[in-house]
Amino acid sequence: MATVTEKLEGMDVWLYHGQIYIPNTFSAGAVGSRFLIELRDKKRIMGMRCPTCNRVYVPARSICKDCFEQLDEWVEVSDKGTVLTYATDYETKSIQPTGSPIVYGIIQLDGADTGFVHMLGEVDPEQLRVGMRVQAVFQKEREGSILDIKYFKPLA
Amino acid sequence: MAKESAKKKTKGPEYIRIKYNAHRPYDWSTGKYLGKVYAEAKENKKLVGNRCPQCKDIWLPPTPVCPKCKIDMGWDWVELPQTGTLYQYTYLVYPLWDPHYGEKWANPYPSAVILLDNGVFYRHWLEETDKEKLKTGMRLQAVWKEDYDERGQGVQDILYFRTIEE
Amino acid sequence: MANRVAIVGIGQTYHTSKRDDVNQPEMVAEAVRSALTDAQLSIRDIESVFTGNMETFEGIFLPDHGMAAEIGALGKPGFKVNTGGTTGASAVAEGFYMVSSGLYDISMVIGFEKQDCGDTTAAISAAAVPVWAKGAATGAIGEFAKQALSYMEITGGTEEHAAMVRVKADKGACRNPYAHLKLGLQSIDEVLQSPYLVWPLRLLDFCPQSCGACALILATEKKAKKIHKKPVWLADVEVVHQEPFRAGVFGDPTGKETYTQHVACEKIYKRNNITDVRKQIDMAEIYEPSNWEELNLYEHLHFCKKGESWKLIEKGITEIEGEFPVNPSGGVISTNPIGATPVIRVAEAALQIRGDAGEHQVTRDTKTAIATALGGPNWTVMFLLKRSL
Repeated sequence: MATVTEKLEGMDVWLYHGQIYIPNTFSAGAVGSRFLIELRDKKRIMGMRCPTCNRVYVPARSICKDCFEQLDEWVEVSDKGTVLTYATDYETKSIQPTGSPIVYGIIQLDGADTGFVHMLGEVDPEQLRVGMRVQAVFQKEREGSILDIKYFKPLA
Repeated sequence: MAKESAKKKTKGPEYIRIKYNAHRPYDWSTGKYLGKVYAEAKENKKLVGNRCPQCKDIWLPPTPVCPKCKIDMGWDWVELPQTGTLYQYTYLVYPLWDPHYGEKWANPYPSAVILLDNGVFYRHWLEETDKEKLKTGMRLQAVWKEDYDERGQGVQDILYFRTIEE
Repeated sequence: MANRVAIVGIGQTYHTSKRDDVNQPEMVAEAVRSALTDAQLSIRDIESVFTGNMETFEGIFLPDHGMAAEIGALGKPGFKVNTGGTTGASAVAEGFYMVSSGLYDISMVIGFEKQDCGDTTAAISAAAVPVWAKGAATGAIGEFAKQALSYMEITGGTEEHAAMVRVKADKGACRNPYAHLKLGLQSIDEVLQSPYLVWPLRLLDFCPQSCGACALILATEKKAKKIHKKPVWLADVEVVHQEPFRAGVFGDPTGKETYTQHVACEKIYKRNNITDVRKQIDMAEIYEPSNWEELNLYEHLHFCKKGESWKLIEKGITEIEGEFPVNPSGGVISTNPIGATPVIRVAEAALQIRGDAGEHQVTRDTKTAIATALGGPNWTVMFLLKRSL
């Protein structure tokens, strides 16, 4: 075990440099799994409609946050949408999907009532603006992950 | 991040599970009380605790406030004996791994509560790994890391407690 | 005490080691809907929601924030508590304080843990103060193991007695539709032949890692009688903190330390004029991650004299059909979804009082019950439940 402890200069205090390593697993559940599998197998972005308030959630979720309804009405939404807002990250960490800079966008897909968080690509930073029309670009090799969508690129 | 698809051989839906093993680094300060324990271990191969001015109880790990009297402990340090008796122990059979670096612990090892000769309880691990030879009441002595440069890990500067015959 | 507080809705999920079919919020939602159905209430009737979960164990940051919609907490007051093993009990106590204070008429408390998402023992060890890390690397198991050794040396109780406790728990679990481990143990030999985890603790001497959730709906006296035909009263609550004993974290072989169980139960017994525990209380749901801990708790909660707890199990007193049943649900050793576990203790005690425990309903008519939780450095939360006030 390579632990490092050092005495702080001029103080009777020691500093222990450690790290925590715990394996974690996230289970997507039945609804989350189907959403990801549709991306992987059919390049389709699926939402869920609430029968009470008619809202379409993307990504699909199993419970309506306002109506507390248990949802099961799947709807396919468009791979095209509108940028609601965006931000550019110049200091990315290893846990993030790509290197710097990453342009994150919140995109409302056509047919959805919610914002969808993803990355924007093939885009000149100068051209970025709210209201911009974008379209999903899928990875060639897909594995059932939200990153099966590579990013959203501006519509010509 | 590794993705694992729990595709079952038998019929039934496919569920997606995503595994992630994030290493989370941290810095942890001993504070000045535990810092004293670190310093005495590193410099003098001594085990120390601090003493309450009122109830005279000795605490290791040291404490700034006496848990019993709820008063300031002051700065009264006592060297603890390095011999004691085995009070409680367990013997790890199922191999665990180090959750800090993801490495397997050496197995087996016995973890113990030791009653030091001045009546202070101390938790450490033992050199003896043969379960049949462990017995409560047996006499023990601390064995230190001899290399000065290897010390500086606080109580882990004591390698283990060794069984002694008296 | 201010307002009287009753349990008017009880819901739990089934428990198992893996729930791939749901994510964490969806699993918790199952317990919430089940409690609402039991109370015949709509989510709109719930004024505040308090949750309990050990988020370190699952690696999901602020899980309560991620499930506000699923648990019906959106736009409502409430917060999550995290107090180690007692987490769920702290959440129940929180709900009790809130309703008792008059701040809310109807509150929901939820405990949950989805342990297929993390590694609990690793989390306990990794998150321990690093200087003592190696000594603590056995997680909670090592602590209970040391205690088992002391128990044998001090009381004369044997591995056979601990095995009897394990078989009793399994009998209950097999009759409890929500329980996790249902082993169908036929004899104590099966327990005594299971491999050692941390000597002298065997595989069957310790609880599993379960996924599950449990929700309770609490209401004031005025509302309770309208909501449920059989409200169960939370007659008293006590929370006692402790720091780790220097000798043993959970057990005290020196006999000099103060047990939080002693402090909690003595206060509750005194306030409620209980002088003969096994006579005045009808059953108990206690927090026993290990069968050895159950033997210790018999003493600490004054079910018997010091050193005599093994006699209770030997005589069958704590069996489902016994004179003073303990953990007819199968207990923690059969089902342990950490954050939910103490909520289940309260829920199961309440089901016994209602007479709704089904196949694991105890023989003794239960009017009064206790539920306890144990955790962290030997903290105790204890509840007294009653059929009528």
